[in-house]
Amino acid sequence: MDLLSFLLVQCLNALSQAALLFFLGVGLTLIFGIMRIVNFAHGTFYMLGAFLGYSAVRVTGSFWAGLVLGPLVAGGIGAAFEMGLLRRLYKRDDSAFLMVTFGLTLVLGEIIRLVWGVDALQVQVPDSLSGIVFLLDEPFPVYRLFLVAAGAIVAVGIWQFLERTRLGLLIRATSQNAEMVHALGVDVNLVRSGIFGIGCGLAALGGVLAAPLLSASLGMAGNAIIDAFVIVIIGGMGSFPGSLLAAILVAFVQVFGTYYFPDFAMAAMYLLMLLVLVVRPGGLLGKEA
Amino acid sequence: MSVSRRVLLQTAAVAGMARGAFAADSIKIGIPVALTGPLGGIGAQMRRACEFWAKQVNAKGGLLGRPIELIVEDTAANPATTVRKVQEMVERSGVRLITCIVASNEALAVVPKLAEWDTIFVSGDNGDGRLTGESLVPNFFRPNVSGPMGTRAVTLWLRDSPMKKFYGIGMDYAWGHNSMDVFESEAKRAGKEFLGAVFSPTGTKDFSTYITKIRQSGADGCYLVLAGDDNVAFLTQAKQYRLGEKVQLLTEQVDEMGINASGDASVGLIGGSRYPAALDNPDNKAFVAAWQAEYGRLPQMFEGDQYQSCVVMQAGIEKAGSIEAAKLRPALEGLVVTSVKGPITMRACDHQAEQPGFVVKVVKKDGMEHPVPEVIATYKADRVTPPCNQMVYTD
Amino acid sequence: MRIFVCVALLLAMAPLGLPLFAMTLLTEALILGLLAMSLDLMVGYTRLISFGHAAAYGLGAYASGYLLLHTSLPLPFAVLAASVLAGVVAIGVAWVCTLAKGVSFSMLTLAFAQLLYAVAFKWTSVTGASDGLAGIPRTAGPFGVTVFQTKNGYYYFVLVCLLGAYLFCRSLVASPFGAVLRGIRENEAKTLSLGYNTRLYKIAVVAVSFALGGLAGALYSPFAGFANTELVFWLFSGQVLIMVIVGGQGTLIGPILGAAFFMLLEHVLSQYTESWALFFGLIFIGFVMFAPQGIWGLLTRRARA
Repeated sequence: MDLLSFLLVQCLNALSQAALLFFLGVGLTLIFGIMRIVNFAHGTFYMLGAFLGYSAVRVTGSFWAGLVLGPLVAGGIGAAFEMGLLRRLYKRDDSAFLMVTFGLTLVLGEIIRLVWGVDALQVQVPDSLSGIVFLLDEPFPVYRLFLVAAGAIVAVGIWQFLERTRLGLLIRATSQNAEMVHALGVDVNLVRSGIFGIGCGLAALGGVLAAPLLSASLGMAGNAIIDAFVIVIIGGMGSFPGSLLAAILVAFVQVFGTYYFPDFAMAAMYLLMLLVLVVRPGGLLGKEA
Repeated sequence: MSVSRRVLLQTAAVAGMARGAFAADSIKIGIPVALTGPLGGIGAQMRRACEFWAKQVNAKGGLLGRPIELIVEDTAANPATTVRKVQEMVERSGVRLITCIVASNEALAVVPKLAEWDTIFVSGDNGDGRLTGESLVPNFFRPNVSGPMGTRAVTLWLRDSPMKKFYGIGMDYAWGHNSMDVFESEAKRAGKEFLGAVFSPTGTKDFSTYITKIRQSGADGCYLVLAGDDNVAFLTQAKQYRLGEKVQLLTEQVDEMGINASGDASVGLIGGSRYPAALDNPDNKAFVAAWQAEYGRLPQMFEGDQYQSCVVMQAGIEKAGSIEAAKLRPALEGLVVTSVKGPITMRACDHQAEQPGFVVKVVKKDGMEHPVPEVIATYKADRVTPPCNQMVYTD
Repeated sequence: MRIFVCVALLLAMAPLGLPLFAMTLLTEALILGLLAMSLDLMVGYTRLISFGHAAAYGLGAYASGYLLLHTSLPLPFAVLAASVLAGVVAIGVAWVCTLAKGVSFSMLTLAFAQLLYAVAFKWTSVTGASDGLAGIPRTAGPFGVTVFQTKNGYYYFVLVCLLGAYLFCRSLVASPFGAVLRGIRENEAKTLSLGYNTRLYKIAVVAVSFALGGLAGALYSPFAGFANTELVFWLFSGQVLIMVIVGGQGTLIGPILGAAFFMLLEHVLSQYTESWALFFGLIFIGFVMFAPQGIWGLLTRRARA
């Protein structure tokens, strides 16, 4: 492989990895940014998405059905959880959220195990995306290009949603001053449930998209949550552009770093996190000092 | 109802014995197995094999005329929990014999305490070479295939292969490094070129950069030392990059769970197998038939290996007439047992069972939902089992 | 003080009444209790939420394990040395972490803990990497003091350490130092404006907390006979935090009860069902919703009512 094709392949490797990391992180940062809740169960919703994707493919034969079904179901569960339990905790301090979402991680994780069993389940890449393209004579999977495109579309979509739509405006306003929004006659509770649901749905979307690459397995949640935390911390808790930037940064560091210094692969992400936090304690684009 | 009592009742129902008669008279065997967590799938297989064996034995009147009682506890593959659970089994339930531990690092944590507990541990799948090497203790016995033996089978097969250059990728912990070391030294002695290896952290999800590295190396074959989710992810992604078309993928052990999870992505994979269900010998045919009748499918790799270990335990207990460590130990040493892999010998010098090695290739078969492993080479025990207390070979 | 003496006496008499395995569980519960109590100094008294306390435990466990395996240092000295080491390392960690506040502080603690995990995983010669250190001996003292090698002997050793640590923490918290910590907890800006160098106090409390947490770890590895990377895993840090909160933060005793409760619950539940994680999670959620002051809060409320 010559240098040019190597660089091209590695860059695309990094971008596809960034897309997956972005999906993982964006939901968490939205929930934190708007509601100051650290959702410990985020990785479990990601895992739920993967398993739902598996079932959707099994039942309907269509991966695209899974892409829709997974986030909807996960989002619904998340919103219901917020309405039922989290809502009562807003008056209390943050540690309550930590515990409740940790409890949810255990409960949901076990339910997933009971429903789908202990074995890892394969999710097929849809036929339309299972081919390869030749980039300067090197094969590259089409599915990964799809991931990059999907990541870009969702990123732009969320950005536009937050900036341009009325609901997006409400969301941003609620994060700044909930009482004022309430005084304006908006049902703040509904907005909050919606946000939590959307955050969980985005995690599940990440899970569905990752499943053809990794298979749906019970170990996914643990890995996912720590990755999600790192992305959100590096990008800045509550910053949507931060999570995008962090995802790209971490992915490139991992892909190129692992290639040249494989021994540090494990520590690389945490060293990066440490470095960023020391220089900018709030994360790259965070608002906290 | 506690899990162990459930098993007890099942075996009681089969044997038709009165419930009350058990507690004092049964032979208790401890099963500290990972039922939850990432290794839960392997644990489920191993436990199933133990239950199957116990049921068979109890149906024929038990062991030494006493019913077998399995005390099953979930360790979640956490060595701290394993030590605690076994301690409880020994202190509270009077267990003196354990098997069915999933992970080698759990085994390594338990082994130094066996003397204190006066308990014999018969391994069902623990492959770490050190368990019969530097970490060997008198109360440990390994009837199953060890990691180095699996690697050895693969490299023996490579001696007849035209492939010349090899690269490697392994998980970055003890097993990954040990297995890769054995492969490297064996490949070199087979006259092959070892280009190097890369190690990925446990829990790696995206192997794209590793796949690129393997491609770059110019190797004919790549030796994989991956397990569980990492193994499945790698195979799936390697297929997407069409890596298998350029580089032959080899591995230390091919197990059905990995194949089922990665589907077509594992077709063409060549590697060692600790127990291929298609083995043609009378004991295995009987075992497979009975297993099919009970569970409606063929036995998988971990199930077969654990079953063999149970049969070895049984033979040792019957010879010793007791489960006490002081009597069972000498009974097991040097014992020849004929089971699903044919006759195997429990070596006295390092408690490793001398047995044949198998190399399989994953192929697609009509009518089967998943690809299956097909035996392509068999090597006799003396070629595959390393010298006493060693993890390296000399020929 | 009277209650303290009563409880201490009760615990001291435990070996006389309890069966063998219950003693094993109790010893481990006391060790975990010490760890949880040490975290309470940070969480309950200073509102420094740490997601990385498993690092203290792991540091202590590996240090004492390494010393016992590779030197002829007797058990009590190895344990003490490990505890001091944890405290010293903590000074450096705290110096970096206290550059930030609030959630960022918590995340930095997580980063450090994960780094320690990565180091433990890779540094084979010292930590044994993923296999850990096995066969850790309880080396007898220079005067042939072998009492710790017995089950009950070790239990008393752990008990003495826990009781001593408790008394130390109690006096620390009641002292002027403790008052400053509470000031930082309630309103750091105000405490700062009163002229206190809050950062130094924070570093100090983290160091003490780590030293005691390291003591717990140092007691664990000779008890179990091994130390491995699971002890430093971030999930364990989360569990210790849960122990503190479920037990009742800011009370010192609460976290000890929380640790015992957590351990017993996990042990008992896993015997009865494979789905123990489900009930575990539900119980936690129940605590948050209905008993926010934790177990200790429940007990003291009943006593008052």
